[in-house]
Amino acid sequence: MKILATYNIKGGVGKTAAAVNLAHRAASEGHRVLVWDLDPQGAATFYFRVKPKVKGGGEALVQGRRELDRAIKGTDFDNLDLVPADFSYRNLDLLLDEAKKPLGRLGKLLAPLRGDYDYVFLDCPPSISLASEAVFRASDALIVPVVPTTLSARTFDQLEAFVADNPDVVKKLRILGFFSMVDARKRLHREQVEDLRSKWPELLSTQVPSATDVERMGVHRGPVAAFAPSSRAAKAFAALWTEITARL
Amino acid sequence: MSELQRFEVVADGDPEALLAAVAERAGLVAVASVAARRVFLDTPDGRLGATGTTLEIRTPVRGRKASTLLWTSVVSGDSLAAVELTVGADPPRFASDLPDASGSRRLADLIEMRALVAQAEVMSRLTTLVLLDGEGKTTVRVLLDHSTPLGRAPLPSVVELLPVRGYGREATALGELLAAQVTLRPLPLPLVDLARQALGSPAYLSSKLRLALDRNADAETAWRTVLVTLNATMTDNLEGTRTDADSEFLHDFRVAVRRTRSVLQEGVDVLAPDARDRWRGEFKWLGDITTPTRDADVHLLDLPALMATLPPERAADLSPLRDLLIDRQRRSHEQLVADLASDRYASLVEQWPDFLEGPWVETGPEANERGNLVAAQRLAKAWKRVVRDGRRIDEGSLAEALHDLRKDAKRLRYLLECFGSLLDPQQVAMAVKALKGLQDCLGEFQDTEVQAVALAGFADALLARGDVAAATLLAMGGVVEHLDDRGRTARHRFAERFATFDHPDIRRVFRRLIDIPEDTDG
Repeated sequence: MKILATYNIKGGVGKTAAAVNLAHRAASEGHRVLVWDLDPQGAATFYFRVKPKVKGGGEALVQGRRELDRAIKGTDFDNLDLVPADFSYRNLDLLLDEAKKPLGRLGKLLAPLRGDYDYVFLDCPPSISLASEAVFRASDALIVPVVPTTLSARTFDQLEAFVADNPDVVKKLRILGFFSMVDARKRLHREQVEDLRSKWPELLSTQVPSATDVERMGVHRGPVAAFAPSSRAAKAFAALWTEITARL
Repeated sequence: MSELQRFEVVADGDPEALLAAVAERAGLVAVASVAARRVFLDTPDGRLGATGTTLEIRTPVRGRKASTLLWTSVVSGDSLAAVELTVGADPPRFASDLPDASGSRRLADLIEMRALVAQAEVMSRLTTLVLLDGEGKTTVRVLLDHSTPLGRAPLPSVVELLPVRGYGREATALGELLAAQVTLRPLPLPLVDLARQALGSPAYLSSKLRLALDRNADAETAWRTVLVTLNATMTDNLEGTRTDADSEFLHDFRVAVRRTRSVLQEGVDVLAPDARDRWRGEFKWLGDITTPTRDADVHLLDLPALMATLPPERAADLSPLRDLLIDRQRRSHEQLVADLASDRYASLVEQWPDFLEGPWVETGPEANERGNLVAAQRLAKAWKRVVRDGRRIDEGSLAEALHDLRKDAKRLRYLLECFGSLLDPQQVAMAVKALKGLQDCLGEFQDTEVQAVALAGFADALLARGDVAAATLLAMGGVVEHLDDRGRTARHRFAERFATFDHPDIRRVFRRLIDIPEDTDG
């Protein structure tokens, strides 16, 4: 079981779209996939039409009073399950802070599911906090959407610096960055892509376009490939998944 | 994981129309309906069904003709693998033919060396309906299955309620609602079993001896019953052996031959000497003619594991060896087919059942004794021999001593398997378990040695051909080294394994089985 977290310190860069669409792609290839929506805003949960509620909230999970297994909901797609968001996740930092060995907590919750799933996607809220560090510790790789703008690029710098400075936290973690919400009509995007690629050659080559189909996920309440399978966005996520699996 | 609920519709009238009306009342929404040709696959011994799964190739009748290989859990309805097959390609026959996809590896592990064989073919109309909640989220899936096996009457309509994880309550409520409105009878079997029943398919083969001998029967009856059962196993596996459908047919055929020889050997006081000698000779011949093909099968079956002991970049160096083995297997199987077409085999299969079913005019002196007493005597002798010979083996003993012990252990195992139902089943199970540990060790020791010797022979054959690359010989040398290591490990483990078998607790088990006083054991 590989644990992949869609993560960026910055919000609005396409983390949830990446988690939902990559998970859907992996499941459609026959892999057993779980998405854990850790963002209290619950966008991934909304996309999968599941109620954003976990019995006992994040507290019951973190304190071990409720097994993660019992919070899982099947989605409308084969091989694809979800642990829904809960509004209490906004206090995840506090809850983890009170727990013993907080950094290992998420990994411990996921460990019993090892035989049930091939891939787990953690859809993370934008921040860098204790909860983020727990995600880093649990994950095999971070999938980091980078919008080709100065601010977004700066957060990627911050993430790389954190990873370099905290080897005890990140351990085996791999950073898989990719350009997200790319608008090829914008000169700034084109220039930034070129500059940043020379700075970070390890970035994945697939670019996910800024596309109406991704925005329409909220209308259709589902992954792009479920309602627009031939769209540019669906193809981009498929290509991105192929590239990610080759790197894992 | 939630379990699916499966029902058959037993109401009069058109089940499809009836279910459609009920679905409407229950608020179900139809999302897909497809007509498809479905071929259900399983191994000849039904190992997929035995693990609660079904495997089918589904081809839509209209539209794109691409077939999908679907592996599904019978219990939960979960998809374990779903992969599109290349149009026009032959259906997968062996594990190695399975498309590279998620789930294929687990499926391959189950199938092992067996072939996938069509068990039933049906034409189906499959309708999927869903129950949605207020968010438009599917909480229950319902599958209506109207299937007709080719050339037969339609099967009962089947309704499957497939719960979505986390929505078990909704599935239960819907099940109750449906059951109140249509006459549904819980169906414990998957559709493939209904189709097999309708088609009159034979039972799956089994290499396990399932004997329930009468404990009060005389020895002649017990011996006859065992031999008749073993003959049925040989008959069941003959065609698959002839056609080389997969290597297990010959394996099971040979095991039945070996058990037959062993039962004849143990029948020294049950059968008349002339008859016993004659049939022992015939079954020795039958065993002998199957040996070259089985040896070739074993080499081929072991090859992937042996290749895996080499660094990946050197594994391909063994390709010439694989080609040689494939050629030898083909030639030895051709000889086997010829031998099975011989007059000698024809008279064996004609006269052996006559002997088993006809009266035994002459018998051995213990034929009329109680079967369980005679079996216990034979067991005592075989067990004491294993204990005696095993205790004589130490670090300095020759390999032959261990090989002989392996034969003794096999004899004891056959006795337990063939006549165990005359004795205490619990004690028999414990004895077999203890013996198996010893046999595994002895088997590993001898098999690795035999394989290493065989590889040396294959190297000679390749050299004689004159076109072998040095890399191939080096790779074979690497494999021999690995086999030697394994053999040495097995040899070191022998003392511990034998001590486990010869432990007082296990000796007590055997004593209870053979019912002899405490102070007379080996």
